[in-house]
Amino acid sequence: MSLADVLTIFHGALTTLLLSVAGIALGLPLGLGLALLRWGKVPLLNPAVAVYVSLLRATPLVTLVLLLFFALPSAGISLGPVTAGLLALTLNTAAFNCEVWRAALLDLPKDQIEAAQSVGMGRVLRFRRIVLPQIARTALPGLINEMSLLIKLTPVLAVVGVVDITRAAVRIGAQTYEPLPPFLVALAIYVPIVFALVSAQRWVERRMARREAAA
Amino acid sequence: MMKDFATVWSERGLLLSGLGNTVLLSLLAALAGLALGALLSMLLMSPKRALAAPAKVFVDAARCTPFLLFAYIVYYGLPSLGLQFDAWSAGLLALTIYHAAYMAEILRAAWVTQPRAPIEAGLAFGYSGFGLFRRVVLPPLALSSAPVLGNQVIQIIKDSAFLTIITLPELTNAVNSIQSRHFIPFAAFVTAVLLYWALCLVVEAGVSAVGRLAEARR
Amino acid sequence: MPTLIPLLSIVSLSKSFGSLRVLEDISFNVQRGETVCLLGPSGSGKSTLLRCINWLERPDGGRVLLDSQPIGITSGGLVMSDQQLAQVRTRIGMVFQQFALWPHLTVLQNVMEAPVHVQRRPKDEVRAEAEALLRRVGLHDKRDVFPARLSGGQKQRVGIARALAMKPALMLFDEPTSALDPELVGEVLAVMRDLAREGMTMVVVTHEMAFAREAANRVVFMDRGVVVEAGTPEQFFSAPSTERGRQFLQRYAEGRAVAA
Repeated sequence: MSLADVLTIFHGALTTLLLSVAGIALGLPLGLGLALLRWGKVPLLNPAVAVYVSLLRATPLVTLVLLLFFALPSAGISLGPVTAGLLALTLNTAAFNCEVWRAALLDLPKDQIEAAQSVGMGRVLRFRRIVLPQIARTALPGLINEMSLLIKLTPVLAVVGVVDITRAAVRIGAQTYEPLPPFLVALAIYVPIVFALVSAQRWVERRMARREAAA
Repeated sequence: MMKDFATVWSERGLLLSGLGNTVLLSLLAALAGLALGALLSMLLMSPKRALAAPAKVFVDAARCTPFLLFAYIVYYGLPSLGLQFDAWSAGLLALTIYHAAYMAEILRAAWVTQPRAPIEAGLAFGYSGFGLFRRVVLPPLALSSAPVLGNQVIQIIKDSAFLTIITLPELTNAVNSIQSRHFIPFAAFVTAVLLYWALCLVVEAGVSAVGRLAEARR
Repeated sequence: MPTLIPLLSIVSLSKSFGSLRVLEDISFNVQRGETVCLLGPSGSGKSTLLRCINWLERPDGGRVLLDSQPIGITSGGLVMSDQQLAQVRTRIGMVFQQFALWPHLTVLQNVMEAPVHVQRRPKDEVRAEAEALLRRVGLHDKRDVFPARLSGGQKQRVGIARALAMKPALMLFDEPTSALDPELVGEVLAVMRDLAREGMTMVVVTHEMAFAREAANRVVFMDRGVVVEAGTPEQFFSAPSTERGRQFLQRYAEGRAVAA
């Protein structure tokens, strides 16, 4: 494997990283929005979100990406591989995030909101200053977990032709007839990134457990 | 639109064969993975560092690896070390080993929160080693971690779709073949999504049933 | 004696949870400066009644008026919007059984939060008042501590300070000491007694009979959703005029004898 090959893999790594960050950044608020729709029991949207979440948690990402890439053009929406991949990642992670946020919302003691209501806080103020700070704390480990899962799913983008780490490794392997080394390099890039996230998650969980014990 | 679904229906032979592969593969991987994972968790729980440490390294590494990459390595990479597998075996092997690591971690995490007293009772009654694990430690562990294990089975089903890339003829592969030959991407993939959803609901029903079993024994 | 317009007027209030009728045609008034204690066995509806006053529970029938202004339903007969309700609630302070302090804010921040963000008063002014309030309840030295580090009694005193910071016309107490260890009850009741003495209008749901006896101007005894009797503490505690009132006091005395 030449230096050029290694650079190709690093370039793929950058693509992977950018798409992961984009997927995470889009999926977090979308998941929160979906969770709030369910929590607020909005009439038509509540069951719709429930169905959406159930479907997306059951659908393999590879199938979703292929669906978006091949099926949308017949509806008039033509997506490039990067857009299709990003959309699939976002839709998928939003569904999982929704459940994490929802668990945090359900965990919030009812009297927190009542206390805010009793001092005359309106809905927006209540959410911004009382609800969100607390649920963000509770949801954090689950959200970090979901982020690490998302990063592990990014190779799926290779299926529609996005040159991420995986596709770069496959290409090089096909050219050099030595598939193992580039795969191992790819592994060497993925594992530390995911490990960093998993460690962060464990650290957050430990801190929260310590706080609970002290209280 | 209806015509497209009719076309999918006309290819139901291929569809069912793909679905069958997915189900079979997932089932075998789940059972083998659980068995392997249980053994692995024994190592994780062991007080002997020489056993626990390498097990932990393996489990942590597996949990930080993307499955697709792992499947690639097993199918495309290992041949250069002399180990050649056909797509099916490679897929099964990859699914089993990968998810065994996750199941080991699930069982270990559940074990940490298990009450110690029944285990001590087991020791007092003369159980030890593998027998202790199989008859005293594992049953309540499996019952209490059933929902999380069920989730892992759903993950197995979804990861099996990745194996389309190593040309394994499972459900996504079948559907992709149908849609590319008849130009009916929407109908074909929607069918796949609905079938995966159905599989998921079956697993969740199974988990609920186990949950009821667990409740009765609480 | 000239009749003053009561600060709080409850007229024919009723409430059901599903098929369970929890409040049945409740009416009474609270004058400015009065301390009224709601007494009664569990399930009598006293907490529900309290929570209907600031519309945390929505009554099915009847009216609640604060200083002749209706709460919950506008004079035009429409249900109040979130904003309108919020407006009214700034004039009523509430103290919760489980304290309900906001855990991500320090003690001082808890007390300052609503005056700054709801009433939009200048931060410096609010801080000065908040510190004075904390001094009054004896917790000024804990102002930069998070609620998780406080004892139950301390948390509740902060809760009282937080409610007072809004300068309410009326204070509602929902079993303020029921969640406290016995030795911490006294410090909270002391703060409440001082408040009453200073002329705050208070409605208190409580099981603390000694407090009701000493600090209340009137007690209202409820059972199974109705007001059974109402009167001064002297009247009720020494000579209850109804059979149910008598039974309640007797069971209470017996309970205490067993505990002693």
